[in-house]
Amino acid sequence: MSHAIEISGLKYRAGSFELKDVDLHVPTGSIYGFLGPNGSGKTTTMRLVLGLLRPLGGRISVLGDRMPDDAPRILARVGYVPEQPHLDATLTVRELMTFQAAFYPTWDAACAEDLLKRFELDDHRLFGRLSKGQKAKLMILLALAQRGDLLVLDEPTDGLDPVVRRDILTALLEYVAERKATIFISSHLVHELERFCDWVAVMDDGRVVTEVPMEKLKLGTKRLVVSGAPAAPGATPFVVLSREPANGASERWIVGQWEPAMSSYFAGVGASLVDVIDLDLEDGFVELLRSFRTSRG
Amino acid sequence: MSRSAWVFLLMSVAWANSAHAQDTTVARLRARADSLARAWREAGALANLVDSLERARAGEGRDTIAVGALRIVTNPSPLPLRQAAARAWPVIDSLYGTAGADLARRPYIVHAVDPDTAAPRASFHVGLEVPWDLDEASVVTLLLTNVPIAPPDLALADWLGASLRPAVRSQYDRATVYVQLVTAPSAAARRCYLGDVGRCADALGFGDPAGALERWYPSSGERRALVIGSFAEYFNRGATATAFRACAGGSDSDCTELLRGLTGNALPKPLGYEARTTLVHLALRLGGRDAYRRLLANPADPLAARLTAAAGMPVDSLISRWRGQVMSSRPRPVPLPVWGFAVALGWTVLFAFCGLRSTRWRVT
Amino acid sequence: MFRVILYGQWKWSRLIVVVGTIAAFALPIISVQGATGGDASPLHAQDLLRAVQSWGTLYPVLAAALGLLVAIATWAADHRGRHVHALTLPVPRWRYVLLRFGAGMTLLAAPILAVLVGALLATASATIPSGLQGYPIALALRFAVAVLVAFAVFFAISAGTARTAGIILGTMAALVLVQVLASLANIPLNLVDVLQLVVLNWPGPLAVFTGRWMLVDV
Repeated sequence: MSHAIEISGLKYRAGSFELKDVDLHVPTGSIYGFLGPNGSGKTTTMRLVLGLLRPLGGRISVLGDRMPDDAPRILARVGYVPEQPHLDATLTVRELMTFQAAFYPTWDAACAEDLLKRFELDDHRLFGRLSKGQKAKLMILLALAQRGDLLVLDEPTDGLDPVVRRDILTALLEYVAERKATIFISSHLVHELERFCDWVAVMDDGRVVTEVPMEKLKLGTKRLVVSGAPAAPGATPFVVLSREPANGASERWIVGQWEPAMSSYFAGVGASLVDVIDLDLEDGFVELLRSFRTSRG
Repeated sequence: MSRSAWVFLLMSVAWANSAHAQDTTVARLRARADSLARAWREAGALANLVDSLERARAGEGRDTIAVGALRIVTNPSPLPLRQAAARAWPVIDSLYGTAGADLARRPYIVHAVDPDTAAPRASFHVGLEVPWDLDEASVVTLLLTNVPIAPPDLALADWLGASLRPAVRSQYDRATVYVQLVTAPSAAARRCYLGDVGRCADALGFGDPAGALERWYPSSGERRALVIGSFAEYFNRGATATAFRACAGGSDSDCTELLRGLTGNALPKPLGYEARTTLVHLALRLGGRDAYRRLLANPADPLAARLTAAAGMPVDSLISRWRGQVMSSRPRPVPLPVWGFAVALGWTVLFAFCGLRSTRWRVT
Repeated sequence: MFRVILYGQWKWSRLIVVVGTIAAFALPIISVQGATGGDASPLHAQDLLRAVQSWGTLYPVLAAALGLLVAIATWAADHRGRHVHALTLPVPRWRYVLLRFGAGMTLLAAPILAVLVGALLATASATIPSGLQGYPIALALRFAVAVLVAFAVFFAISAGTARTAGIILGTMAALVLVQVLASLANIPLNLVDVLQLVVLNWPGPLAVFTGRWMLVDV
């Protein structure tokens, strides 16, 4: 499997915040969600991927080229939408489109016009006078019209109303279907990525907690009701995220990477599996983080 | 007696009284003037005595530096007087020639003082008080501008406007004269600039003093510009205020009357001190080592003749050469030299490069 | 690429450029206004030189102001967006900085040309007494160089990070502190004079600003 983004052993420090040995592998053609609470290092990682920041160590490869050595070549194929609006507030929508087109030989004017209509943007309006949602739409428009092979989107729908969010996500999905492009999207809105992403990585406090296909994270996180479980469970085929007492002699276990066939494990250790309860992604995400933080003490 | 006779008698008596009163007044004023003149002479003699006593006192317990004919009496200090004198003497010698030997009898008196103004200083009334942290170049300038040569005769001093000293910046002085030739509000100066050597002589003040106003400032505009530009404060008060205002308003007769009322040599010559000193310096250089002595030899002669004697050439030729020197000393005009542009563009490129090298714009 | 960058910079700095161009055009004309349509007698020479010299002090001020303001406007848009847009464009960074520099210099061509045109008009319309000459082209060239030097200096400072600006300010503060301490300790150290000598005299960077700026001179 080829990877649009490959990060290995990435190190970075800014003040008291640190990224330590971050490894990420974004498969080509995937929609890769980058989950994590605020301040976990998602934006920092994205900036490092785009060459906006200089790492202290590690290796970053984007679309087969090394960053930052081949930055211009990489950036010609990458559309970026940052968390905060970054465009010249004194230029109109039309002027910004012209500006962007001048730098990207692959600029698709027809696509840009089409998106302009779909997003209902007034092309004579100054960027500084657009609403938050309109700004977000314009930034998406510019990223899509560039016809890049990789879109890096840093919380693109944060703070937007559901209608705008839907418009943006629809446009992104169409783009992916049409271009087979890769999307690397970060968010702290778990439920949004749940419907959208193929892969997900969870980040917390500058470290990658897990990096798995979305289905595996969603379906593989369960709450088990177990009775008679040994104090030390030994080697388990699943990941035990947490254990706590329940009613009577039962315990509640939160596990990850669960598969149905793994229920035979309990018989082997003299315990019995009373119930298997599905967790939604948000609950699973929270349990994952809690377990991660507890293990780090 | 008839009425007219009474009037005549009364008037005669009045006149006689007034005449007697006038005589008394004049006599009184004359006596007063004589008394003032006596007091003046006594004060002058006293001042000379004080100076000579001061000189004697100043010379006690001090070193004497001798370089060429220069003698410098000074207190021990870090001041680089010997080195400065060694640099100044050739310049002084080249100006005064054989007359420079007289300087051996007229020493500099230099009081080198602590540059710290809080340190107490003895009070002297003769000599130069010089802080001892002055650098050598400044001391050289000091020596050149305060050469204790005997003052020239009144006629020469009057014409020059000051003592004749060695040139510290001769090229600059000639450039200044060039600017004066171009900008002086005088037809004489302008004609000199345009090549009329005879008018140069006039502008330099060689002509007959009678009629100088008409020769130097022939037009009403020039006279008006001179009154307003040089004598505004002097004329715009007292008895002359009305005439000044009339002159400023355009009355040429008032301007002319004010200028004619200037006494002695108060009417400004079209060209300044630098013009006359550069001329004299040229004459002395051309005339050889005895030129200065020849210049001072006959103080009663007209200045033109004295300069002819000094330079060893007719004054017209001297002035012509002087004009040529001045014209070739035109100050460097505004434009930057070529290398100046190159330097400035070099700095532009350097700073642009610094902008490129900022860490924000460097990838690695 | 250059065109769009130039357009963006124009939007930020058009007021500065327009006002500066008007001032640059007017300055030479105003400086000789007393000499238009009169006789060229020596009476006017001094007045003319005086007027030209006093108005001439405004040329370096205008050059420095234009350089500073256009340099600030050059980076204004990027500073507001924290340079994210610029740093994610698919051009080598040095090229982007050069594009910005070139755009700034292009905008400054207007006031420079205005000085040239104004100076040529001024010397053509003024009655210049003989012995004096007009130097319109030399003045305009000097103004051009002064504007470019000023722009380059402020461009370099503005292009830098906040740390760069901090270093520059810190260095200046350190110089002042050293000077003050030296004065208190009675040490004969005059850093300001030394700095002045180095910076304001040839071949220092700001030497082009010093001296007389005379449209008409001997």
